[in-house]
Order: sequence, then structure tokens, then C-alpha cells
Amino acid sequence: MSEWSEAVQERARAIVAQYPQRRSAVMPLLFLAMAQDGYLTEAGMIEVAEWTGITPAQVAAVATFYTMYKREPVGKYLVSCCTSISCMLLGSDQVMHALEEEAGALHGQVDAEGLIGVEHAECLGACGGAPAVQVNYELIEGVTPDKARQLVQWLRKARPETVNTDELQQLFGGTTSFEWAIKEEVGAVGPYPAFESFGSTAPVSADGTES
Amino acid sequence: MTDLTREGIKATVGEEMVKVTVDGQEFEAPKGQMLIQAAQNHGTYIPRFCWHPRMRPVGMCRMCLVEMETPKGRVLITACTNPVADGMVIDTKSEVAKKAQEGVLEFLLINHPLDCPVCDRGGECPLQDHTIAYGPGESRFVEEKRHFEKPIKISDLVYLDRERCILCARCTRFSDEVSGDPLIEFLDRGNFTQINTFPDQPFASYFSGNTVQICPVGALTSKAYRFRARPWDLVSIESTCPHCTTGDRITVQASQNEVLRFLGVDAEATNWSWLSDKCRFGFEFIESPDRLTSPMIRQEDGSFTEATWTEALELVASRFTEIRDAGKGLAVLGGARGTNEDAYALAKFAREVLSTNNIDCQLDDGLDPQFLAATADRARISDLDSARTILVWGPDLKEEHPTLYLRVRHAVQEKGARLVLIHPWRNGLDDRATHKLTYRPGSGAALLTRLQSEEGEVATALAEGPLVALLGRTGYGEDGRLAEAVAAHVRSLGGKLLPLARRSNVYGALDMGLAPSLAPGRATTDNPGKNAAQILEGLAEGSILGLLMVGSDPVRDVPNGELARQALEQARFVVALDQFLTDSSRLADVVLPVEGFAEKEGSVTNVEGRVQKVNRVVPGPGQSRPDWSILDDLSDRMGRSINLVSAEAIAKEIATEVPAYVGVTWDMLDAEKDGVVVPLPEATQPLVYLPADTPGKSFSGELVLHYARTMFDDGVLMRHGPSLEHLAPGAVAILNFDDARRLGLSDGDQADIKTSQGSARLTVRIDPSMNHGLVYVPFNQPGIPSLGSDPVVTVTKA
Ligand code: SF4
Ligand code: FES
Ligand code: FES
Repeated sequence: MSEWSEAVQERARAIVAQYPQRRSAVMPLLFLAMAQDGYLTEAGMIEVAEWTGITPAQVAAVATFYTMYKREPVGKYLVSCCTSISCMLLGSDQVMHALEEEAGALHGQVDAEGLIGVEHAECLGACGGAPAVQVNYELIEGVTPDKARQLVQWLRKARPETVNTDELQQLFGGTTSFEWAIKEEVGAVGPYPAFESFGSTAPVSADGTES
Repeated sequence: MTDLTREGIKATVGEEMVKVTVDGQEFEAPKGQMLIQAAQNHGTYIPRFCWHPRMRPVGMCRMCLVEMETPKGRVLITACTNPVADGMVIDTKSEVAKKAQEGVLEFLLINHPLDCPVCDRGGECPLQDHTIAYGPGESRFVEEKRHFEKPIKISDLVYLDRERCILCARCTRFSDEVSGDPLIEFLDRGNFTQINTFPDQPFASYFSGNTVQICPVGALTSKAYRFRARPWDLVSIESTCPHCTTGDRITVQASQNEVLRFLGVDAEATNWSWLSDKCRFGFEFIESPDRLTSPMIRQEDGSFTEATWTEALELVASRFTEIRDAGKGLAVLGGARGTNEDAYALAKFAREVLSTNNIDCQLDDGLDPQFLAATADRARISDLDSARTILVWGPDLKEEHPTLYLRVRHAVQEKGARLVLIHPWRNGLDDRATHKLTYRPGSGAALLTRLQSEEGEVATALAEGPLVALLGRTGYGEDGRLAEAVAAHVRSLGGKLLPLARRSNVYGALDMGLAPSLAPGRATTDNPGKNAAQILEGLAEGSILGLLMVGSDPVRDVPNGELARQALEQARFVVALDQFLTDSSRLADVVLPVEGFAEKEGSVTNVEGRVQKVNRVVPGPGQSRPDWSILDDLSDRMGRSINLVSAEAIAKEIATEVPAYVGVTWDMLDAEKDGVVVPLPEATQPLVYLPADTPGKSFSGELVLHYARTMFDDGVLMRHGPSLEHLAPGAVAILNFDDARRLGLSDGDQADIKTSQGSARLTVRIDPSMNHGLVYVPFNQPGIPSLGSDPVVTVTKA
């Protein structure tokens, strides 16, 4: 018997229906579970096990393998700083350090208020725009330590409901990989990740504008 | 219908042969066979950890790296994931192969602790052995090894030491692929990867002990064997499991005359090395301090005093003679847990010395003995592997016939057989069933008629052979004749069948004539005696005066336990041959201690009629004696000697006198790896039983009882094993939501469950999967009186 609200169950049903076998829905359902509590709880994993017809142990095997399934609270804004090679060569260590200092939280921790979580991440696929940072998986490229501090200050002050890559890039970014990107209409409302079907993106009206 | 066969790296081994060269030796192997297996069959052992011949390959450990020649030069491949191909040239001992193997071992030992001296596996550890045979000799690793809490208890029976684990995935694959209860998994990633359960959800699998046996290191250990012995101190003797009717092959291991462990043996015909936990850990009773060690005679006040064999046997002989000569009834209950030799002695004793045909080795919970012993078109267990359709209409195999359950799972999952599953309720095989039908006990005959007449999916599936049917009583409310009616239908479809009964050697006992209607060798008797239920009634009402119980505990084991108690209380004279004081033998006048499993040699017969040896490993306790010698002694004292001198001599007598067993000698059984199936070609089987379509009695009521066994219960062998005694699930009454509401019951309430034969106050559980009008109560749970075999039940709130 599900603990989820009718609306969430509706979404879960739709997700399960996309696959020939129920068990294949385990990963999207884990995101859905995560969106309920802000992180993945044991109850959430048991719920997913029930939806997929596999055992909680099997669900946990998947959930603990991937770093994007958070099993501890990570705050309203999760700030991930790439520390892989390209970013590291262009100073991501200082960016990471600035983020940690400004947020008052080390890698894997959340600030005292429970608002901002900080982590270092493996390559974010934005090496051309290194160093790269994400907020709730919305990307910012060419981030400097100063901009990183400003980012944290801004999140704390503005507390946006939605973060959006274009806006973040404009406020805190620098050099980008490419200039071809289509303007993104939706942003992440967190918690993670920002995929529409999991309910962690801002709702979009039919004509593509935010409602 | 969804195809439930799961695809993995699975090569189909066909008929076609290919030529392979391994280490310069050329041989032929069936195309598709994995190189590691083909090489082994031709004498080249390739080291391995993750590969297991009864599971799918995963290529996880890389220990099996060997060099293969290719047009582009020599490459390293894993022998466990590469099927042989024509012209394949392999070098398993080249410099490069050796270096690879050394490298793998050096890596595996990076995190493996060096606690071999205190590890249960030490001395029989594949990692230890491989390190010596294939390892580099020393390690370059000087850093800190990873640490985990050691060991953690992942179930009541199994402990896990994650530091020792080499992440081979044997245990996880076993629980996923073989037993179908994946409760342990790899958690986390990279250097932090560990085997574990979900928090607060133990590894409560009926088959968990198998992972201990196949773990290539000491990461998984069993509570029952931890720190008990070193492998080099163990005496190992092959035998046949004393618990189920599958005749699973085991190795009995003992040290200093104490049995310490059972291991599964990979017998192709039966268990493929697997054992249920009940079987694997069901050895502890042998060494129980409660074993009877001397004859005992009950006093006026109900207490027992020890007696000499002479005193006890004189008393038994005189009282039995008195009853017999007065023409009053005598009866025999039991004998299904011993050897064929003991069963033969008992049948002979009953007929020739006690002059009675009131003999039953089944305890009112089985099927017609003629059907069980002599059914035509009996299947072999291995027929399941090639079946197109499997019908299971009988007990929940997972609970009562665990290795058959594994074999059926395998046939469906790996061989693509279709499974038609008919059961009153949830069943261990549900997740593999292609067609599942549920029904209320009492309406089985109607369901069968529908299957016989209707077109429909299920009827179509059954019509498509080869069909193998496993048939028995789904619960004690069910009429045994239903299974026979189903058998008749299966025969009409050209299918083969295995009629299912419980108690390890019940088929052997029936073959030796321990049934009111059977003479030894699958023949009929002229004037059949009374069966177990009739015997108990006879004792209760005084038409039978004397009873001999042999390894049977009717009070706990007969569905109508209350009747059994009355019978024993009313009986004029009761003798028990037993290993323990049970609820039944406690009511006997004389109790005689017997040697049990692992203490005597003999043969046993399994569900398919396969005869195999059981062997003596340790001496019996105290003054215990084998059944046959007690019976022989009694026969002398009763003036009608049956002239038995040894179990082996009885075996010879069986091999000449018992029609279906003609030619079956111990030498033959010792020589044949998997025993022999009787009758041998040169023997005859006087009775060939053709099941008739006589539908069992139908009944209905507002509520019907589904009263069936669970793997763990309050049976005497379990009660005397410290590992198993706490595992019985306990008694509950499971109801559907609507029925519960109608009765004003909610989950957790106490209710009185009443049939015409018994009543019990039980906790109510509501389960939405329960059929309407059905109440499920597990049989023989600790402290709960039995409800009998009358399926019409009333439930009232307490
Ligand atoms: S516990 Fe044993 S069987 Fe399981 S993965 Fe580890 S080494 Fe292999
Ligand atoms: S290295 Fe940072 S985005 Fe690739
Ligand atoms: S045995 Fe081949 S990889 Fe493990």
C-alpha cells in the first residue's frame, strides 16, 4: 500500500507503463522517490521495490551504485563542482574550496541551515567550458572562485524556486563550450534531478512559457 | 503470455562437436560448452572463483584467464564466458596466462584479510588453494586493507564477513537465479562494494545455506558450523538426505564421532548440490542431548524408568503376544523415516509376528499407497528438464519439496518450460507460473472437470507435451483422491507424473509393504488392514488394543492430532521405537532407543523410485540399536522368529524376495553414482496402478480451511536442532479482507478457529491475496493444537 500521494502514484504508474517489464522502471522510480523526501529514504526504496516487483535489496543495489541517488539530505540547492581533469587544470580546486568556504559545508555536507549542499563531481561533460559547476544539475561554465562565492550568496538571498541554466550562466558563468544552445524554458525546482517526468522541473504551460 | 526465460550469457549446448586444443591436447567438445567446463572434462583444470557449473557465468573474478591463439596473435580470454569453437587453440599455462593469474590473485589479496588461521574456510578455501597453486608468492601491497565490521549476522543461520569477500557474485546469483529470493546484493560501488542485505530485512531464504557452501572464501559462514572443526579433521561419507523425499545426495561430515555438517553433493539425478536449510542444518538432532540412550518403561504415575533391553523386550513380547493370541487388534504406525532394510524388517514383523495388516507408514496426510508406490507412467525428476509443460497441483513445493522446487524453477526459467500452477493460495512458484489457478479446497473436482472439458489457455497448455505433473494434496482439507483424478487426466494427455508424499523414505517404506494394502515389492495384499486414521479410531474406541510406533509422532504429525492423543491414551499397550521422547512416545508404555540417520547403513528410495545408500558415520548413542535387530529380538521372544542377522543380509533378502527390488544390491548402489531406479529391467512389478478418475469428495461451507505445512515447523527433528528450532513461522490465521470484515475481525485480532476435529485460538492476519471464503493456517506450529482434516471451519472473534 503506497505512502505516495495520488498524484505521485499517477506519475509512477505512467513511468511503469513505459517499460515491457516492471523492474526496468527502477531508476526513474528512484528519482521519483527521491523527489518526495528530498533524498532517498529506506521507505522510499521499499516503495520502489513494491512498484517494480523486485526486492528492496535489489533496489538498494541500484540506488547505492549511482552517486546521483542521494541517501542523505542534500539541501534545497545541491552545488556540484567538477574536479575531473579539464576542470582541475583550470583551477576547479579553488572553485571547490571557495564553494565549501562560502557555504560552510565540505564535500558531501549541507550547510547549517540545510539549504545548500556541496559536492565535488566527476566530469560533467562540459570540459570545453571548464571549470564547470552545477546547481541542482543545471550547468554553469567558466566559473571562477569569486563567482562561486557570489553564487552561494545569491542562492542564500534570492532563494529561487527554480534554477535555470541560462540564468545561472548569465549571472555566474564565464567562457562556455559552445554558443549553440537553445534557450531552456524550464529549470530545476529540486530535489534532484531536474527531469520533467520526475516532477523536479518547473511546470511548463502548453505554449512553452513558465506558468 | 510473457516468456519468463531470462536471457543472460547463455550458450546452448548442442549435439554438434567441435575440435579444441588445450595445452597441446586435442579433443572434441559439444559446441557451445564453456571452455572452462570442456577443459575440465578432459583433465585440464582452469582456476576459477565466480564460475559455478550450476549457474550462469558472469566473468566477474578473472581468475580463469587463459591464452587463446587468434589470427592477430595470442589474447587473454576468460574461460568461463567463452564457449568452445572449432579450431580453438588454448594455452592455460603459458607465461602470459600464468602472469595474468598471478596478477588476479595479487589483486584479490589486496583487500582479503590474512585471518586464515581463524577462518572456517581455512583448509578448504579455494582462495587459499588457488593462491598456493597459481599465486605470485608475495604481494607488493603495503597499504591499509579496507575494513568492515566482522562478521555481521545476515540471517538466523548465516554470518557475513565482508572483509573476506572477493565479490565473485556466487551468492547473489544463487539467490537470484537459483532460489529466486534475491535478498542479498552488491551494495555501493568501486572499492566500497560490499555484499549485504537491505537494512532490517534479513537473508531469510529457505536456501541460504547453499551460499555458504559455494562461497569461495570464508565470507559466508553458517551458525551451525562456525568454529566447530577444521576440515582436515573431518571424516566425510556420502549419504542420502534424511529429510525430503527427493533423495538428495549429501556428504555427512563428522569429527570425533560427532556429526558437524551436511554438504550438498552435485548429483545429476537429484539435487545438483543444492539443499534447503531444513536439510542442510537438519543434522543437529543427531547429536542432541535429548537422544534416548536406554530402554524405558512407563510407571503407574506416568514417569519413565530406565530398563535393561531384556526387561523391556520381555515386557513388550509378553504383552503383544497376549493381545495377538487373544485375537485382539494390533497395529503399526510409522517406518517412513528409516531405511528400506528396517522397513522390510518391520513389515515382516507386523505380518508374521503380530499377524496384522494394520500397518501404515503414512500418517493420514498422504495419498493412496498403491498410487504412491506403483503408479504407471511415473516420471523421473530429470524429466522436468525436458518438459514442455509442467503441472504442479499439490503441496507448495518450496515448503515441502524444496529441491524439486528448485528443479521446477530451473526448468521454467532456464529451459523455457511452461508452468501450470494450481493451488488454493500463494505459492512459492507463483513468480514463475505461466498459468496460475486458485480454488477453494473442496471445489477441486469441479475445477478439474472444467479443465477436462474446456478449451481455454490452461487446457491447451496441458495438451502440449512433454507434460510432467507433480501431484499431491495441497493441504489437509483436501481429499487425496483428487490427486488421483488429476493423475488420470494427466495420463489421458500422455503425461508423466510424480505423486508427492512426505517423510524421507516413505516411498521405500511403501515398497517394503508398510501400508495396509501393500505387500513388499509393489504387490497387493489379500486382505487389506486398516490405515492410519482407521487405526487411530480403532485404538480410541477399543477395537484395536496394541500399537507399535516406529519413528512416528502421530500426536504432532497426524492432521487430527486430538484423535491421535485419545488413541494413545485409550490403547492398552503402546510401544515406541524412537530417537526422542515425543508428544506421542511420552504416552507409550515402553520406549526403545533406536539408531538414527548417520548411525546405520542401508538403502532408501526417493520419489521417482531411485534407490540410494545411506551410510554409517558415527555410532548411535548409548544402548540404541537398529530397528531390525530390535524387531528380530522381539520375534524370537514372541516365538515366531523372522531370522534377521544384519542390515546387509536383509538387503540381500530384499534383492531376491521383493519383486520390484530384485537385483538391487548394496554393491550396485555403491558403484552407481546416482543409485538405481527400481524396478531394474530384470525385475517385475506385480502391481501397476492406474489412477482412476474418481473425483474426491466435494464440500463447501462459508469458510474453508487451507491447512498446509511450512518448511519449518514443530517437527521433532527440528525441535531438537538449535539452529532450526526457532524458525517455525508460528501459527496465524490468514483471511481475506472482506471475510475478516464480515466476521468483525481486523489484523492482529485473536480469533477462535474451529473445525469438527479441533480448535485453536490464533492471531488473525489479513492478506489481500487470500481467496474469498478461505482461511489459511500453517500446520504443526509450536504450542498450537491441530485442527484436523475437516476443511469446514468457523472463525469467531475471541
Ligand atoms: S560473499 Fe562469498 S560468494 Fe558472495 S560475493 Fe563474496 S566471496 Fe562471493
Ligand atoms: S573535466 Fe570538468 S566537465 Fe569534464
Ligand atoms: S571464473 Fe571466469 S571470470 Fe571468474
